[in-house]
Amino acid sequence: MNCQKFESVAGEFARGQMMEAELRSEAIAHTSGCATCASLLRDEELLMRGLRSLAADMSSLEASSSSEARLLNAFRQRQVVVPLPVSRTNRAIWLTAVAALFLLVFSLVAFRWRDSSNETPAQQVTAPQPVQRDETVAVDKNPEPESQKEIGPGESHKRTPRRNLSNSLAFNARAKGSRNRNSNVAANHVSSEVATDFLPLGYMNATTFQDGGQIVRVELPRARLASFGIPVNMDRFNERVKADILVSVDGTARAIRFVQEKRLE
Amino acid sequence: MTGKDRPGRQFSMKPKSDLTDSELLCLMLSGDEDAFSLLYRRRQGGIYRFALQMSGSQQVAEDVTQDVFIFLIKDGHVFDATKGSLSSFLFGVARNYVLRRFRGDQSTVPFADDEDDQPFDPMCDEPGPLDDLTRAETIENVRRAVLSLPERYREVVVLCELQELSYVETAEILGCAIGTVRSRLHRARALLLAKLKPVPESVEQSSAGVETVRCFA
Ligand SMILES: [Zn+2]
Repeated sequence: MNCQKFESVAGEFARGQMMEAELRSEAIAHTSGCATCASLLRDEELLMRGLRSLAADMSSLEASSSSEARLLNAFRQRQVVVPLPVSRTNRAIWLTAVAALFLLVFSLVAFRWRDSSNETPAQQVTAPQPVQRDETVAVDKNPEPESQKEIGPGESHKRTPRRNLSNSLAFNARAKGSRNRNSNVAANHVSSEVATDFLPLGYMNATTFQDGGQIVRVELPRARLASFGIPVNMDRFNERVKADILVSVDGTARAIRFVQEKRLE
Repeated sequence: MTGKDRPGRQFSMKPKSDLTDSELLCLMLSGDEDAFSLLYRRRQGGIYRFALQMSGSQQVAEDVTQDVFIFLIKDGHVFDATKGSLSSFLFGVARNYVLRRFRGDQSTVPFADDEDDQPFDPMCDEPGPLDDLTRAETIENVRRAVLSLPERYREVVVLCELQELSYVETAEILGCAIGTVRSRLHRARALLLAKLKPVPESVEQSSAGVETVRCFA
């Protein structure tokens, strides 16, 4: 070990820090033959003792007792002014509300996009009468739920999505009540399609249809007709069939009806 | 917040005095005053001494200690246990408050001196017989020498030598590499030796031990 190397480790050596055994023995050997480095080591050791004396002398010093009292007071005030659990709860509620609103808007936009990407057959099917046709068009072009909220009790005549859907459902309910097979199919002179009545999905019943919603055109395997009690032509078992799903304002699929091109039946 | 999801439930089996700093902080942030009090009593001494050793002013040390724990009350949630201990976190906050005081009020640093190589001999002003130096005088000389160091060297001496923290903890507090801590400490010790180095004629006497050296007693 040379003097430069010793100088670089003298401090740690004096502090008694962990050193490699070989390095330590080399340092000791060097000081035995080098007066300069032996003096440096002495100084380092004295410095170390001085620093430790200073640390020990200050070890009992601490903040005044009044400091703790002031801080505890601040802690209590903070508890009153900023109750952490409540703020976290509020934040969670707000985040949930924002997320729900976002999902609702996104769903309605997606439904509208899907409907417009088709040739709006649902409008034709659900428009056996001019007024219903107009109202159904209104459903597709005003999907915003906020507009529904604006309907007051005395404004039920307004053409709004909620009312439109209720009307079209009422039409189908009337048709079903007539026990007439032809009236069970919502026919339109202008339309090239025919459809079944809306069939409730899950535990929904006809009264829940009054809540309004959106109609979404989908395609399903023809075999699914059987699960709704509709006869299935086994020769066309593997084909797909169009259907309209009634989706309520909360995004739940409430009812379904199956649609066919008129020329096919 | 109900009792079921209260953070304290998970620590309820242990006496609070056995809880770690992080566990106490968790309880404290949920509103547990005892946890705050315990955490304060556990850590305030080190913070106070750090600020005192850095500034040389009891008033600054008192204020900084207050500021650190007020910060903990208001913003304790920013502590990230994956980045180091709460003790290091508190020292880091204290350091920032101390440096802020230095920037805003130079009078709080009695020996603010940014010249690395400027020698400082505390005995030059009041020379006295070597044998008359007491332990208290030695301590005072070392204290003044430490305070005369530039900030970047002073803080590593205070943390590593006076607070006896490891290089790793010091590096966490200062936000630098361990090698930087090591090199700064090496330089700081050389500066301290230069400031405290006894006059040549006392060199021989210094070999008798710390009580006989002019600057180290
Ligand atoms: Zn040498």
